[in-house]
Amino acid sequence: MRDALFMGRLTASATHEMQNILATIRESGGLMEDLLAMGGADFAHAERFKKGLGILAEQVERGMALSEQLNYCAHAPEATPAGAGVNEAMRSLVGLCRRDASRGRVSLVLAPGRTGLRTSLRAVEVMDLVGQVLDCGLPLMPRGCQLMLSVEEQGGLAVVRLDAPGFEALRQQPGYAELSRCAKASQVGVCAGPGGQGVVLSLPKAMA
Amino acid sequence: MNTKDWKILLVDDEHEFITTLAERLELRGINARVVFDGESALLAVAQDEPHVMVLDVLMPGIKGLEVLERVKRSNPQVQVLLLTGHGSTRDGIEGMRLGAFDYMMKPLNIDTLIEKMESAIDYAGKAASLGQ
Repeated sequence: MRDALFMGRLTASATHEMQNILATIRESGGLMEDLLAMGGADFAHAERFKKGLGILAEQVERGMALSEQLNYCAHAPEATPAGAGVNEAMRSLVGLCRRDASRGRVSLVLAPGRTGLRTSLRAVEVMDLVGQVLDCGLPLMPRGCQLMLSVEEQGGLAVVRLDAPGFEALRQQPGYAELSRCAKASQVGVCAGPGGQGVVLSLPKAMA
Repeated sequence: MNTKDWKILLVDDEHEFITTLAERLELRGINARVVFDGESALLAVAQDEPHVMVLDVLMPGIKGLEVLERVKRSNPQVQVLLLTGHGSTRDGIEGMRLGAFDYMMKPLNIDTLIEKMESAIDYAGKAASLGQ
């Protein structure tokens, strides 16, 4: 726990630095755009230059999204009296796991579900459990498949659903026993989704 | 008020970022002074009160929120726009409580920044005329 908090502090500081770097790149790109707009007519490569600046801006946006997700991760081990926001935890996890999943040609999609749902768990615990489900289930999925994650409310509890055809077969995976043990220790229920498909994690309620 | 008459103070320890921002504002006819730390910001406000101060929250030395607090005490008519990162939204909200006009996340959209500067200057003008 202490080591996670320490690593979190280091990472949070580094993500602030990354944001400053990206902000500087964006301003410099913006300045070039401004100058091009002022005297671009005489510049033979104006269009290629503009295209290059467009790519630069896109990559800055990509970097910002990544640093935002990393920054969330950095603070995820911290305990707060209000508990963790489930949507925020899932947004960060899905954003950071997308690349790994796409190596196996699986696309992770976070559905726009209910917002504002909280749990008494720390964000890192929520992310760890859903991460374990992904570790168990992703190798089973056929290439080109889509795994849909959604956050919903069921019976007053926040639940995370993972839906894809055949995803429930993860219960036969070697890592599933460890996942069940961790879930139980965190008072998280794990069951099959509607019609026996997919996986549903029911998270403990946040303190009022 | 015409944009060329605006008095803008930019405060950030990220030299390249803030000087480039000043250059981009200048291309749009807005002159901005630049300082790189909280101490210099307090001095700059005391020497020549700006209409708007764009102030980074996370700086070494005197932190942005402390600069904000001190400026709002000594020069309450100065409107402050805070710059925050994604992980420091809480600072932005705390800054609003301390009297900041608004807060923005880095990286900035320059058009949005100019719009906010204009709103801040309009607000200060209205507040001054109500006070008279």
